[in-house]
Amino acid sequence: MSDRNPGMDLDLEWVSKVRVNTQAVLRRAQQVQGRKVAKKEWQAAWLLKAVTCIDLTTLSGDDTPSNVHRLCMKAMQPVRDDLLQSMDMHDKGITTAAVCVYPSRVADAVKSLKAANSNIPVASVATGFPAGQTPLKTRLEEVRMAVEDGATEIDIVINRTLALTGQWADLYDEIQHFREACGDAHMKTILAVGELGTFTNVYKASLVSMMAGSDFIKTSTGKESVNATYPVAIVMVRAIRDYYLKTGHKVGFKPAGGIRTAQEALVWLVLMKEELGDQWLTPHLFRLGASSLLGDIERQVGSAQITQLRPLCSS
Amino acid sequence: MAERSSHSVYNIFKSMELGPGAESSAVTAESWLEQHSRSLGLFIDGKFVHPDNRQTLTVSDSKGENLCSIVCADDDDILSCASSAAAGFKVWKELSDNRRAKVLLRLASVLQRYSQCVCEVCDLCQSPGSAPALVRLAQYYAGWAQLRHTLLPEWNPRGVVAVVMSDDVFFYSMWLKVLPALAIGNAVIVVPGVKMAPPTLLLAQLLMEAGLPAGVLNVVTGNGSVRVKVAQNNQISYVTYSGSKQDGELLVKQMAGRGIPVSLSLSVCSVCPFIIFETADVDSAVDGLMDAAFKNCTEWRWVVCVQESVYDAVVEKLKFRMAGMKCVRVSDECERGRVDAAVREAEQQGATLIQSCPPPSSGCVYPPTVVCNVAPPCSSVVSPPPGPVVPLLSFRSAAEGVALGNCRPHGRAASIWTEDLTLALETAKSLCVGSVCVNTHSVTDPSLPQSGRRESGTCTDGGREGLYQFLSASVPLPRSEPISLDYTKFGTAASRFLVPDGSDPSSVSRSCTHLVGGKVCKAESGCSRAVQAPGGAVLAHCPDGGRKDVRNAVDAALKVQPGWMKKSPAARALALYSLANSLDKRKQDMATSIHNQTCLSMEEAAQEVELSISRLSDWAARCDKQNGHMPLLPHTGSALSTPEALGVVGVVLPDTKPLLSMVSVLGATVSVGNAVVMVPSEKFPLPALDFIPVLQASDIPAGVVSVISGGKDQLTQALANHNEIQAVWYWGSAEGRQFLQHCSPLKRLWLHCEEEEDEDVRKFWTEPSFSMQEEMWRECVVWKSVWIPTA
Repeated sequence: MSDRNPGMDLDLEWVSKVRVNTQAVLRRAQQVQGRKVAKKEWQAAWLLKAVTCIDLTTLSGDDTPSNVHRLCMKAMQPVRDDLLQSMDMHDKGITTAAVCVYPSRVADAVKSLKAANSNIPVASVATGFPAGQTPLKTRLEEVRMAVEDGATEIDIVINRTLALTGQWADLYDEIQHFREACGDAHMKTILAVGELGTFTNVYKASLVSMMAGSDFIKTSTGKESVNATYPVAIVMVRAIRDYYLKTGHKVGFKPAGGIRTAQEALVWLVLMKEELGDQWLTPHLFRLGASSLLGDIERQVGSAQITQLRPLCSS
Repeated sequence: MAERSSHSVYNIFKSMELGPGAESSAVTAESWLEQHSRSLGLFIDGKFVHPDNRQTLTVSDSKGENLCSIVCADDDDILSCASSAAAGFKVWKELSDNRRAKVLLRLASVLQRYSQCVCEVCDLCQSPGSAPALVRLAQYYAGWAQLRHTLLPEWNPRGVVAVVMSDDVFFYSMWLKVLPALAIGNAVIVVPGVKMAPPTLLLAQLLMEAGLPAGVLNVVTGNGSVRVKVAQNNQISYVTYSGSKQDGELLVKQMAGRGIPVSLSLSVCSVCPFIIFETADVDSAVDGLMDAAFKNCTEWRWVVCVQESVYDAVVEKLKFRMAGMKCVRVSDECERGRVDAAVREAEQQGATLIQSCPPPSSGCVYPPTVVCNVAPPCSSVVSPPPGPVVPLLSFRSAAEGVALGNCRPHGRAASIWTEDLTLALETAKSLCVGSVCVNTHSVTDPSLPQSGRRESGTCTDGGREGLYQFLSASVPLPRSEPISLDYTKFGTAASRFLVPDGSDPSSVSRSCTHLVGGKVCKAESGCSRAVQAPGGAVLAHCPDGGRKDVRNAVDAALKVQPGWMKKSPAARALALYSLANSLDKRKQDMATSIHNQTCLSMEEAAQEVELSISRLSDWAARCDKQNGHMPLLPHTGSALSTPEALGVVGVVLPDTKPLLSMVSVLGATVSVGNAVVMVPSEKFPLPALDFIPVLQASDIPAGVVSVISGGKDQLTQALANHNEIQAVWYWGSAEGRQFLQHCSPLKRLWLHCEEEEDEDVRKFWTEPSFSMQEEMWRECVVWKSVWIPTA
């Protein structure tokens, strides 16, 4: 993986100067949604890129070793091999970016992947997911245990109480503690944007998370009523851009929750390309948190192949 | 197969290119052109006509290929077109409001049906137009057609209106003039530029399908001389032009002396400030800027002014966002050369560039370019080249930002970015432009009036305000032929010196003073002229004012006018009431003055004074009653449309009703916050000069009103040639009117005849109708619209 974000001292002056104009952001989001990827090969290539950026996720109460195992197998072979072969992509290492499970299932996932000789990272949600309303001590312990079990990426949730009441210094300290607990594991910080109230708060929370050393900032847990939306994403990636311009460190972005269709996946990629440029279009800096998205992408890749490429092959 | 391999899925996977944009289809447009055998005629009397043996012009597409040919109309065509329009007007104005509204509503649905074709024809001809915007326009003005007699009862349509366009304006701007003109019952002759001709002809055809009677809309195509010939035709009652400043000025000059009002919307090439304050959402501002400046086609150009504290952030973000942007089309090879030369020149003067890629040495494209650290007098700031190039300037305080925004001669639009509401509204108020967008840019909607200040024209389009240019309340000027006039000599003849013969030694004539910038004084030249009673007896000697007196008056006016304008309307009302009071106290003196000067009976003179007092009270009362409004847009947000003072108005007063006409004009202009420089009747100046003490005894601040007596032509010439005078109202000779049109085409001119004892004309002063007073009020103001998007 690329260099990690070492973080920086909390700069409250920077945080306090943040201003976001909601209407302008909404307008920009509409503009981005209007940008289209070309059909045929372009569509297929972009969809495959989306596949490689997926954190294939299962976060249910009824997760067992068997469905976690199936998930791992799907992550290793996300698209049918014959389809990949028809595009000459079968040997390009198309897998999802990671699998993402609850802490208790980390061991199962690690075992399944190791058995299949795969080095796909295992990510775990932690820190009292999804509400974050447990004592700091147990939240830290949760992180350490997941890491011990072999998770190399940890998705933490921030304490919304601190963010909503503007206690940025306390939030910064908490996240730094999590970062320490993660050790070498990469840390993705979930802002739970649906519960932050305003775009300005989202921007500030993004900045504080990055200052505290997050490797990724993530929109939502998937358990709030409002999940990843394009306008909120624009606010977050602008914070990422700001942080990069000031410090030179690239922080990744992970939208999660409610992303189900191939079309949406394309818009997310276009949004990253438009706002942050091509350098962010890699699994190191962009992840899509999703559980049911892959099925639709596979179907769309297939149909793109059948309807678009056949005339070319027969000619 | 070679193509396939370079675009293999794996290569795209690595490069993440977006791929080619959707092929723009032009099937319906091509088939419409084929239908007309690719040679479009003129659209006269509801049908296409193809006169023989006419010169033709070629319309080409973006690749330079011929699309179709259009006819260059000659004199016969223009004649038949004008008579068709005159006949069309008779039919159209007689229709009920509801019938006219129906036609426009049907146009909206016809436009929706053919929107694909309209868009494609516009695209092919490189004349950008959006069908949804046209549909909204048609619907909006259908509403005004429906309500015309209810809401605008005393106003009359002008007759046959010529809408004249140059080539580089938006297609939408044309219909922003044509549809309101049609809505209130005018017939229209459109003269589009060459590129815009095919879509205009298509829309004319669609209007026929919507049920517009034949002749109400005619389209005449051709080169620049056709524009002028159409405008000069004697059936035309009003000419409105949209395009570049150069051509606009020329058109007004060519129309001088014909008795036809001309107004100009000079939005093309207008340079608009884009101001980013430190309190702005800088990311959104940068997005907005890139959207505004680097699109393929824009009517306006922008100069970016950034507050110093966020200057570096803006530059960094621009660099980041512009990296990898592709070149943008410019109209042709030689324009690319011009753009490149301007950028090189700025670079030589020490500017640094933000450019996405090095400019190509040939072809019709240029990379998006921001020119930073540029010296303000550099030509790329003063008149930025057309194309994707914007200069970036920095300022320290908000006040400096406004000053920087106001330092260009144009006054079309501005975009300001700040989250601070107070700052936003204050800045919007202080910018001398027609429309201000807060935290967004270039919002257009037909309900939002767009007007030009200074070099951006004399015309207001859109909204209710945009209707009045096509209506008149008072008696229109008679048509005339231009007189041969030596413009250089006008008003330069020395005033004839009069040694009164046989003067009565028993009455020594008194010597009067006039009022310049709040000071009672003699003429700067030291000369004076004799004032005679109608009988020939010399009553007094009044100052013989000239250019220098006008200059002094305007200098003083410019100093006090901003303060007068900023006073609350209630305070202005009180000042005018005090003037009325002060007149009331001296009514006996004033009546005597009128009586001596005009030989009216004392009774009639007293009546005029009474009327003058009530007129002043009228305007005082209106001060805080006539206001702007909040247009309702289809977007969410708040729009404001407010009337603002013009600045300094020059007025040449008529001979009739010397006191009443003066206080009417004074009340109107001053009530909205203008300063006024008045030239009293040359024949009867005494009542105006005797009014000066009345004025001084009132609460009107010194300098707001100047009264300069002297030769009418000399003073008219001085007013016309003073750059800071925004408007001239003139009652006088045909020569004077022709001179004004010729020599100050960019001033707002309100021209009237030197009236005879005509009943209608006298009523204009003695018992003006509500609409006449409103017309006068509308001549005193310029409209500003402010738009703030909110949830």
